[in-house]
Amino acid sequence: MKKYSRITAIVLVLSIAASMLVFGAASAQDSGRICFAFQDVSTEFWVASHMAIIGTLEDQGFEVVQLNGGQDANRQLEQIRDCIAQGVDGIILIAQDGESGTTIISEAQEADVPIATFNRPPADTSAGIVVVADNRSVARQAVEFMAQKAIGRFEATGERINPLILVGDLADPNAVQRRAGFMDVIEKYPDIFNEPVEIATEWNSDVALASLEAAVTANPDIDFIFTSSDFLFPTIRSVLEAHDMWIPAGQQGHVILGGLDGDATACQLIKDGYVDATGVQDLYYEAELTLDGILTAIEQGDTQPNAVLQDPGFALTAGNIDFQEMDSWGCVLLADGFLDQ
Amino acid sequence: MTSLEERLVTGRPAETTRTTLASSTAFLRRVLLSENFVLYLSITYFIILSIFIPSLAEPRNLSNQLSNVWPLLAVAVGQTFVLIIAGIDLSQGSIMAVTSVVGGIIMTSAVDPLLFENSPIWGTLLHENGGLLAGHNLAVPIAVIAMLLVGALVGGLNGIAITRFDMPPFMVTLVSLIFFSAFAIYLTQSQNISNLPDSFLQLGEGDIVSVYFGEKAEPEIKRRDILPLVSYPLVISVGLAVAGQFILRRTVFGRYIYAIGTNRKAAQISGVPTQRVITLVYMFSGVCAAVASILYSARLQGGRPTTGGGNLLLDIIGATVIGGTSLAGGKGKVSWTFFGVVFFVLLLNTLNSMGLSAFHIDAVKGIIILVAALLDVTRTRLLARERLA
Repeated sequence: MKKYSRITAIVLVLSIAASMLVFGAASAQDSGRICFAFQDVSTEFWVASHMAIIGTLEDQGFEVVQLNGGQDANRQLEQIRDCIAQGVDGIILIAQDGESGTTIISEAQEADVPIATFNRPPADTSAGIVVVADNRSVARQAVEFMAQKAIGRFEATGERINPLILVGDLADPNAVQRRAGFMDVIEKYPDIFNEPVEIATEWNSDVALASLEAAVTANPDIDFIFTSSDFLFPTIRSVLEAHDMWIPAGQQGHVILGGLDGDATACQLIKDGYVDATGVQDLYYEAELTLDGILTAIEQGDTQPNAVLQDPGFALTAGNIDFQEMDSWGCVLLADGFLDQ
Repeated sequence: MTSLEERLVTGRPAETTRTTLASSTAFLRRVLLSENFVLYLSITYFIILSIFIPSLAEPRNLSNQLSNVWPLLAVAVGQTFVLIIAGIDLSQGSIMAVTSVVGGIIMTSAVDPLLFENSPIWGTLLHENGGLLAGHNLAVPIAVIAMLLVGALVGGLNGIAITRFDMPPFMVTLVSLIFFSAFAIYLTQSQNISNLPDSFLQLGEGDIVSVYFGEKAEPEIKRRDILPLVSYPLVISVGLAVAGQFILRRTVFGRYIYAIGTNRKAAQISGVPTQRVITLVYMFSGVCAAVASILYSARLQGGRPTTGGGNLLLDIIGATVIGGTSLAGGKGKVSWTFFGVVFFVLLLNTLNSMGLSAFHIDAVKGIIILVAALLDVTRTRLLARERLA
């Protein structure tokens, strides 16, 4: 009997703890209810976006229903359906991929709930408020800066450059556009570059590590690497260090290195001389566009707002970091001690 | 307290109070010991939370919850069979991935070359104009049959490895999970196959009977206000569950399954064809995973190599075990699994509506499942003690 009393006591304590957590957190606010569904919070970009969006909405008095899809498109779809069924006023979505984004937007619009996608566009951009960086242009700007350094090296040594690109998940239109921007520049200088090596990362650092290790082992003369997202710089560093190729600019054997996102790590590495350029998506501007779009739609009673809002972005390079540093969200976070936390 | 004092405090005679207490205790005991305990737990949980979150009980949300029950139920029915024979099937998620891709390869009506030109099946099974049977009238039925056959085939391979080579089910199905997940990703190079026929998409979303609650204030009722009462996923999953229940409770094959789960050696000595039954059970599990894959692929409108990934396997096994099916084998029912699935879906639905931080949701989910498991342990011990008495 004593045993059962103990079990019952444990059950009660846990139930009370759960209830406190649940009802303590679920405090209704005045302005309305917004559902914020994201696919994960695993990179600096997503962490900073998450903080910016949640913080702004809560400051404005909205109750935010936060839903982490855990990189599972079906789970994200079910979460959005839950939100719709519970009568939220609007939805902000970071979809798992372009196709599932399209399906989810169509569900929301069919239920007359305004929806905006942040940074990761659906495959069909004609529906919903789509906030996205001009990925192709941003990638092109960053790779162009890298290409100019490559041309200088080619002119000095006469040896063609061997480029490599870490491609994202091609089901994500951002990854497709970034690859296209990279290819635009490589194809622009056919006399300088050899055929690029393409590494599929699926936006997964483990996959990237294994594939990059194999590629660098097979092609030790790789001297130009572009990553489709800055979150892979630590992965690149670990592979290049193992091959004695992690060398800052200005020294013999430096691998010309670039990326896209403009996160705090990239900013630090540009300052340290290891990275030459990164395409910057203006995270705060994109968050502002998303929030303005969805809140205006709610205010005006527009249940099916459709618009593509573009962040032009820019390239943060070793050449302009001294005067454009504070235009980059990653450098702002770096200055705030983000990497020390 | 004397009888007089008790009467003064409660306003009722002591005898009545005692009778009420005794009947309440007996009622609680009956509920706790009932084999439908998880159903009662779900109902209690639902009623209590509905007080704090009124939208939970709205028809739209109920309809939404049920739509999430059906695909999970389909795959959990297969897992129930496997657990009853004291096995486990970790490969269900990978079977869902492979069958989803196979269906897509057969049915798709258009493919983006940029995404698929590096795929090993580009130019043979997949072209710019679609898959093997793109645009053909029989594309959907053939694709569905192919998906079911592939599910049965992978399940059969698991069963053969377990019975012929006497390998542990955990290892065999773990290897299948790894191999077939990777195979699905290899075939498509991690891309989703979209542009599936509308008639296939209907299997994941289509309503057979719809209802509308409320007055008809406007000439045209909006689509969002029409709720599915009977949908294709419901018919498919309930059909599968009823068939499963029938096999387990009303057929000799079902008795063999329980006999093997209770004591495989004894069943073998008694003349039960254990190898054949185990192989067929894993094949059935594969078919159930393929059925779930049809439903998930249709609702997400694509053949996806990641179908069945994430935490789904934990949800499948968790729902089945919470329902009451024993991991040790010999005990389980499809109806229990249904209750377990309802509990899981209800739990996720309520957590999604509580306004919790994303960082807290999984912790709360874990706590609630732990509470349910502790209640189940208490219940099992009470039952055992009652049997001894």
